[in-house]
Amino acid sequence: MTHPLNPAVLTVDGVSRAYGARPAVVDASLTLEVGRITCLLGPSGSGKSTLLRLIAGLEPVDAGVIRAGDEVLSRPGHTVSPERRGTGLVFQDYALFPHLTVLDNVRFGLTALPRSEQRERAMAALERVGLADRAMDWPHALSGGEQQRVALARSLVREPAAILLDEPFSGLDAHLKAGVRDDLTAALRAEGAAVLIVTHDAAEALMIADRLVLMDAGRVIQSGEPVACFERPVSRAAARLLGEVNALPVTVTGGTATTPWGPAAAPGLADGPAWLLLRPQDLMLSADGPEASVTTCRFGGRFSEIGADLAGHSLHLHTPGVGPRPGETVRVRAELARACVVAD
Amino acid sequence: MALTPASRPAGRGGGSPLTLIGVLAAVVCVLPLLGVVAAAASGGTADIAAADLIRYAATSAGLALLVAVITAAVGTAAAWLVVMHRFPGRDVFAWALVLPFAMPAFALAYAYADLFDVAGDLRIWVRAGAGFDLPIQLRSLPGAAFVLSCAFYPYVYLAMRAAFVNLPVQALEAARSLGCTARQAFFRVAVPMARPALAAGVALAVMETLADYGAVQFLSVQTLTTGVVRAWFVYGSLASAAQFALPLLGAAALLLWIERAGRRGRAYGGGARWRPLPVTALRGVKAAAATGFCLTLLGLGLLLPAGWLAWTSMDVTPEWPRLIAAARNSLGLGVGGALVTVLLATALALASRRLPLTARLASVGYATPGAVMAIGLLVPAGWLWSMAPGGSANVAAGILLLLYAYAARLMAAALEPVDAGLSRVTLSMIHAARGLGAGETRAALRVQLPIAAPALFTAGLVVLIDVLKELPATLILRPFNFDTLAVIADNYARDERLANAGWPSLMLVGLALPPVLWLSRKVAHARPGSP
Repeated sequence: MTHPLNPAVLTVDGVSRAYGARPAVVDASLTLEVGRITCLLGPSGSGKSTLLRLIAGLEPVDAGVIRAGDEVLSRPGHTVSPERRGTGLVFQDYALFPHLTVLDNVRFGLTALPRSEQRERAMAALERVGLADRAMDWPHALSGGEQQRVALARSLVREPAAILLDEPFSGLDAHLKAGVRDDLTAALRAEGAAVLIVTHDAAEALMIADRLVLMDAGRVIQSGEPVACFERPVSRAAARLLGEVNALPVTVTGGTATTPWGPAAAPGLADGPAWLLLRPQDLMLSADGPEASVTTCRFGGRFSEIGADLAGHSLHLHTPGVGPRPGETVRVRAELARACVVAD
Repeated sequence: MALTPASRPAGRGGGSPLTLIGVLAAVVCVLPLLGVVAAAASGGTADIAAADLIRYAATSAGLALLVAVITAAVGTAAAWLVVMHRFPGRDVFAWALVLPFAMPAFALAYAYADLFDVAGDLRIWVRAGAGFDLPIQLRSLPGAAFVLSCAFYPYVYLAMRAAFVNLPVQALEAARSLGCTARQAFFRVAVPMARPALAAGVALAVMETLADYGAVQFLSVQTLTTGVVRAWFVYGSLASAAQFALPLLGAAALLLWIERAGRRGRAYGGGARWRPLPVTALRGVKAAAATGFCLTLLGLGLLLPAGWLAWTSMDVTPEWPRLIAAARNSLGLGVGGALVTVLLATALALASRRLPLTARLASVGYATPGAVMAIGLLVPAGWLWSMAPGGSANVAAGILLLLYAYAARLMAAALEPVDAGLSRVTLSMIHAARGLGAGETRAALRVQLPIAAPALFTAGLVVLIDVLKELPATLILRPFNFDTLAVIADNYARDERLANAGWPSLMLVGLALPPVLWLSRKVAHARPGSP
């Protein structure tokens, strides 16, 4: 099947979308690459689902351009309709058609082909997601994970150059998630399409993604490889999206920040106030290091969560087993090598 | 009255007065139907020829089929236009398309028969101007189908409108992303998913078609319902009337089953997030065509016939005293019928939470034509009349019977909103009220009734509108010389005094329009994001 998408890339360039006076997406850019999974991560209301709908052509852009190779898919005043964009879309609730069997759902988008070939291709797609034996069932007879694989097969059978998945794991029971996630990513990688997955679950995004795009308040605040995003966040907001983080105000002078644990490299930062970011796992109770007074301690089994006050700034850290009592004075050591300093 | 929590375990307090009233309500509904069967069985077959019965039944079936096809197409198109598009007047049409409910079918028949009369102004004008005669014969099966479709398309419109508004947007978007154009998405996804609603809406339109007496009688189309009334009035044969009624009863049961099955539908799985429907703005010719289509529907269903009746009625001086007395009777019966029916329906709704069978039994009467209901009541009516011969007692007994017939016929129509209203009161709300120190009665008065009150009001209006327009049951059961507006209109029309028939018809529209208006506005604003 041919599609207007150049298999090379799909680029989103400076795209904005507002609902009335409320901006949903502001100047967002990202690139989807063939054979790679990109995760769009952000809290609810950050505009990530809107961005997905813009890419799918379900909504027009107010500014910016979406291109497939050289072809413009969306620009202000012009939107190639969803059915002609060559993008596959898997909805959060799967959106299977309740009046069609599993097989008829999967071949729904193949009307251009002769019936026998429709059937053949649909069965092959169901085979790939391991549901060939359920072809004659009605959607409501399937489990959540199975419905999702049908929805995936339904999109993949059209051989889209880009496939977009909206919160694919949110409707699943917690104990099923890991298995479904592995099945789904395996199936997606096998197709070799450019994949965009929208999610609000940081752990999930870090595990699946080849590339992360972090969104907050309608803006893309950072993008890159998962490890890079995690270890080198560009801001407090970006760091928080990927997990709990301690942010302490510090002062930068000549590319170096002065911290309670000594100097920390702050390359490229202007002189003045900045923030030192430390994950809880990079702080530990120790015999040396600056003193802090314990404010809270919650025993959590494998470890205890400790809240401490260090020179007027609150810190969170984990310690194995039972922790100290509130009011006690402890010393805290930091893995400064794993810390980073950001301006914002 | 102590109202009972929604999902109280079965078997507890089974003998409470409430349950008894509920069972009584169910019996009220079923008794006349048993009466029909008994009467039909008692009479042998000599009174009517089997060929007549078959001819009448075939006409009914043909008429029902035509009305089903026309209302399905027209109602679906109107609903799709109004829900998914923006065009001049859409916000008004969203509710105004329901207004033909205020127009009794017989009034439509009078207006169109007169308008298209061979000797009428329109035909003469066309003959003179264009040199040929309009090939229209309204006193025919297609003519009757046209008139009844004008009257009953709102049933399909309402059902499909609700279905489209509730259509998960994701399904349409999924279809688009799978290569469908907007039009293909409509035919391949929206209509199939709304099929249960379509079946339900068409079933209601067909029920009303089979139940109609005034319009088909006037248009000389002999259906089973005209057969029932004629067998009783012309031949005075209860058994014959009942034999005409039996196939109607069977058809009614079938339609009821279709309607109920359609309502259950196949649910769309998944907790879809609510999103407003994608509304397409129509421009130019398309917008004009959409406005024109909706305006035509509204015009054919209400504006044109009501306007024509008003125009022709100008020529005659109405018999005001008679009309006002009839209006008083119509309104009195309507309000009385509404009160009795809603009261019984409320008891039934509450009791059916313990005895689910009662509600199902009570629903059987719904699809039953009024004429059939009346025939079933004639046996007990005979007893009543013989017990209270003559005078005011006779009138009271007759009115009681009428209210009985209305309640039995409209119980299910009232039960639906009442049940929906009461089901908004959750068990935990009642427990909360009880936990805050309210007794059972206080909890009912302070929590259940206030929450359900709008629904009870809605149910009352539904009954009121239907009773106002009711003709055949009223004709058969009414006390001597007790006229309603519908009866007077029918009398004039039989004498071919159409200009005179216009007045009571228009007064009926005047009485029915405010409650229809109220209901239609309520329907239009019932859902977030709907037009």
